[in-house]
Amino acid sequence: MRTRAGRALPLGALALGCGVIAPLRDPTRLTPALSFLGPTLPHPFGCGEAGVDLLALVTHALLRAAALAAVVATVGLVIGAPIGAVAAMRRGALERFVDRACDLVQSFPSFLLALAVLSAVRTPTRIHLAIVFSLTAWAPFARLALAQTRVLRSAAFIEAARALGVRGSRLLLRHILPSSMGVLAVQLGATAGAIVVSEAALSFVGLGPRDGVSLGSVLEQGVASMLFAPHVMAVGALSIMVTSAAVISAGRVVDVRSRLRADTPKGL
Amino acid sequence: MKKFAARVVARTIEAATCVLAMASLVFFALRVLPGDAARLLLGDQASARELDALRAQLGLDLPMSVQYGHFLRGLVTLDLGPSLRHPNVPSMTLVREALPATTALAATSVGLAAIIGTLAAVLASGPFLGARRVWVERGAVAIASMPLLTFAPLVTYALAVKLRIAPLPGDPDAGVGGLLFASSLLALPLAAQIARVGRAALADVERAQFLVAARARGASQKRTWLVHALPPSLGPILAVIASQLGALLGGAVVLERLFERPGLGTLILEAYAARDMPVLEGAIIAAGVLFVIVQAAAAAVHAAIDPRVRA
Repeated sequence: MRTRAGRALPLGALALGCGVIAPLRDPTRLTPALSFLGPTLPHPFGCGEAGVDLLALVTHALLRAAALAAVVATVGLVIGAPIGAVAAMRRGALERFVDRACDLVQSFPSFLLALAVLSAVRTPTRIHLAIVFSLTAWAPFARLALAQTRVLRSAAFIEAARALGVRGSRLLLRHILPSSMGVLAVQLGATAGAIVVSEAALSFVGLGPRDGVSLGSVLEQGVASMLFAPHVMAVGALSIMVTSAAVISAGRVVDVRSRLRADTPKGL
Repeated sequence: MKKFAARVVARTIEAATCVLAMASLVFFALRVLPGDAARLLLGDQASARELDALRAQLGLDLPMSVQYGHFLRGLVTLDLGPSLRHPNVPSMTLVREALPATTALAATSVGLAAIIGTLAAVLASGPFLGARRVWVERGAVAIASMPLLTFAPLVTYALAVKLRIAPLPGDPDAGVGGLLFASSLLALPLAAQIARVGRAALADVERAQFLVAARARGASQKRTWLVHALPPSLGPILAVIASQLGALLGGAVVLERLFERPGLGTLILEAYAARDMPVLEGAIIAAGVLFVIVQAAAAAVHAAIDPRVRA
């Protein structure tokens, strides 16, 4: 579990399980006679509103949520980290500007931003969600890369690389960013986890993808039927919790230097 | 003092820019993005004449620059035109009616979170609980890592449906109890964050000379921690509150939906469902203004209690 690949194990197992089950079950098939049926052998998670099979709904929704989270977090990392690293290498006005911009974007109520943009499209899809979340997802990565580069820019190995004539993008990609991957990898997981929850929250309040295949809409059904079918709510809440936890842990996989650091003695 | 005034001016400009940027974003998102607002409102069956009439009524047939000018003027005069659902009601009146409920919810949550979080931080750092104090921090970590979206419905089920000690969601007679229950749910994640950061901030001062001096002068443990150690640690705590406000607003929308409470979030969702653009713009901007004001207030409070910030 402590190894790099082990961190992705929960998400891998979850995705594999869902990938096997999802094609066998249809989340859009409704059997009204089974509405809000408790868990049974043919329907292990029970049934929700209008008799939708919750296992089908949860497996499909989980795969889509994880894919959305992975895309947005990767976009955030790929855009944000270079911005922060370049700003810190250039120093001066650019560094201060990026610092302040990150402050503003990070404290921005992203939920409101999502509401504003989603209200402009007739049928929100996950592509729209991905765009909206990417608008703010880069900021924490830029902030962390900036802080890391501030420390690294005066480190001896960077100075040595410069003395050897390494410049520009090569210095950034081969020397600075790999050494910053530790914190960036943690942030990658945290961002992905937050996206899973945000997507569910938007669907919960009725702003999610119109197909209704979302962990948030399971929770929404569950809250509406709390008094007579509490299992729906439990399935919704637990699936969101498990997905976000698995995704958070999986972020560590991109920490390319973790083996290296584990091998070097402490203090180096 | 001159420097202080300059800082106030700078902060005000920054806050105004923030609001303007968000308002403009809302404006352009609703107009530039694909999706004709008139068609969104009237549906696919609308005739061309109906569409044109509505566009004229909304000013959507004017050039974009003129529309933007009108919008900015409306923003300054707090008049974004009548609601589309209720043509006789100015949209800002609807927003003003919804504001107190959300403000009460958010303010009560911040207040509760500040008290619970700070006390937990002191309990986790001070000698009051002995070896058991690690559990305070472990609890804070556990709560902070659980999404509000998942634990709020579960706690509500346990307390309102099973134990019947909290009001049920949507209960019109919930009153103060309902407000307190909803805001304590909203306060929990914030309190956990405050406890963690406050614990770290207290760890920085816990070996400071002035605490030893206070103890030597005969101050009790309680007095030393609450009166001497806490004030210099308030900066990070306020910073956490300010940085979590965006999440708090999002959480407020979710909780208003969960408890079927009236408020800004409910208004936004209703306006969204009905494509009531003036109300939607007004509500989102109002939420943004609320957010900016509270953030500026947090900075001002920080400056007022910590002379190191003013210097």
